[in-house]
Amino acid sequence: MTNKYYEFFCPVKVVAGKAALEHIPYELTSLGAQRPMIITDKGVRAAGLLEPVVTACEESELDIVSIYDDVPPDSSTAVVRDIAGIYRAEKCDSIIAVGGGSAIDTAKAVNILVSEGGDDIAAYAGAGVIKHPLKPFFVVPTTAGTGSEVTAVAVIADTEKSVKLPFTSSFLLPNAAIIDPRMTLTLPPHITAATAMDALTHATEAFTCMAKNPLSDAYATAAVKKISDNLLRVMDNPKDADGRLELAQASTMAGIAFSNSMVGLVHSLGHATGAICHLPHGLCMSLYMPYVLEYNLETIRQPLGELLLYLDGPEAYAATPANRRAEAAIAAIRRMRDALYKKCKLPRTLKETGQVDESQLDAIAALALDDGSIMFNPREATLEDVKAVLQKAWA
Amino acid sequence: MLASRMQPMALHARRLYVNLMFQVMGNALQAISEVDGKVQDEAKALPDGFLFEMMVMPNGPSLVIEHKGQGRFHYHGSSAPRAVDLSIQFKHIAHAFLVLSFQEKTSVAFANDRMIVDGDIGYAVRMTRVLNRLEAFILPRLVAQRAVKEYPSNLHLPEKIMSASRIYLKVASQFVETARA
Repeated sequence: MTNKYYEFFCPVKVVAGKAALEHIPYELTSLGAQRPMIITDKGVRAAGLLEPVVTACEESELDIVSIYDDVPPDSSTAVVRDIAGIYRAEKCDSIIAVGGGSAIDTAKAVNILVSEGGDDIAAYAGAGVIKHPLKPFFVVPTTAGTGSEVTAVAVIADTEKSVKLPFTSSFLLPNAAIIDPRMTLTLPPHITAATAMDALTHATEAFTCMAKNPLSDAYATAAVKKISDNLLRVMDNPKDADGRLELAQASTMAGIAFSNSMVGLVHSLGHATGAICHLPHGLCMSLYMPYVLEYNLETIRQPLGELLLYLDGPEAYAATPANRRAEAAIAAIRRMRDALYKKCKLPRTLKETGQVDESQLDAIAALALDDGSIMFNPREATLEDVKAVLQKAWA
Repeated sequence: MLASRMQPMALHARRLYVNLMFQVMGNALQAISEVDGKVQDEAKALPDGFLFEMMVMPNGPSLVIEHKGQGRFHYHGSSAPRAVDLSIQFKHIAHAFLVLSFQEKTSVAFANDRMIVDGDIGYAVRMTRVLNRLEAFILPRLVAQRAVKEYPSNLHLPEKIMSASRIYLKVASQFVETARA
């Protein structure tokens, strides 16, 4: 009997496509919610992305009771406590997160407090602490990369203790993810590129790391194909709404894939580099991906070779001998990075970022070695291995 | 009829095996922290007094070790003197048996959601590396290859035999001491 075993869970209703925002009132009232609070950040408001959400609700006589638009890039326990206070004072009954990873994680944490009670979010940190369904919660992503709208985790900084608190529970998952192409139409080129490469990394690692499974594989390959087909097209024509929608859907699909199969060394390095050098996460993903795939190559040759079909299309796949497809897949990712470098200077090496000093590599390696995602990397990476990968990624 | 009588015996034997393996591992973790510099280096990053537990949910077999400082572990047996800092919990005795009988690698068990981590993930990753090094030392290579993700390429036979002998000797003495007590 085979020892193969897997788990797959995604109860999030995906509401995607043209006029998706206008479905929010119906979906919210279907859950008995009538007094939603919006949680977002200043950048989203300044980009004019709140208006279509608010208008869509008001046209259906659903008043947005409160808007909190001051979520910082790295949210904290204090911010979560303040927003929960406003939610209670305004007698809200549901939450709509509009934004990227930080706004979404903050909204997840606020939902814990307003549903479970109390003011100390740290009391709910860890896995499986939350035992009950939370308040109705919708997510409207404004970037196409994090996949936070379909993940059961949130990370909030406890600034007093200088630690990051992880929260893990399937109850953190939103009731619905609203994917509307209007929300990503104005993303600047370098953010479009970095976030799409983040999603591509989610899908690639989901498909090649240890917890891959048949269901996450299906989402991962579909996401890789959508990104390969549309990213450079959108970079050339940012107002391509169809292409934007494809990227946004790819991000959600990659999120579903990796939240059910985890990620590997690319993320370990990315988390460590983000913590030490404060580089954006998507940029780190794009930067490290080919070097880690080369390091893992002999362990992941078969699944990586399969990805060539989705990265480079059926003609290239058919024309490449089976034993060269894994290398060809890495080459296709490198070509995509080169094209992005030409279009928006998305760095391909640590040196090209201009924000990393070579003397920091040892610290990055040490921190990456203790990152949770390294557990799911198909190879057992030692400190020396990680340093070697970093040296290749340096220049 | 016979099968239905045999099944409870098999389940009891499985529980006894898991219990025994936890005792061996607990003692061996204490022993390897006294003889291996790499394990000591890994352990030194843990706070002094750090309590680590491996257990089977909900109230099954368990092992508890404490970092006493300077990279040295102390095996507490199956119960902790106070609340543990990090707990790795198998969801079922069957899952613990799969890992401890080397039918499923520890890393694969994590990937298969056989167990959950309650505590700092970074420390859990570190303790998993310690467990892997222990298994690489004390198990014959062919068995160890079934237990760890990648058998360390730089672990050669003389070093392995020397370290394994010292670990087994210490484990045996600890068992004798426990029996006398």
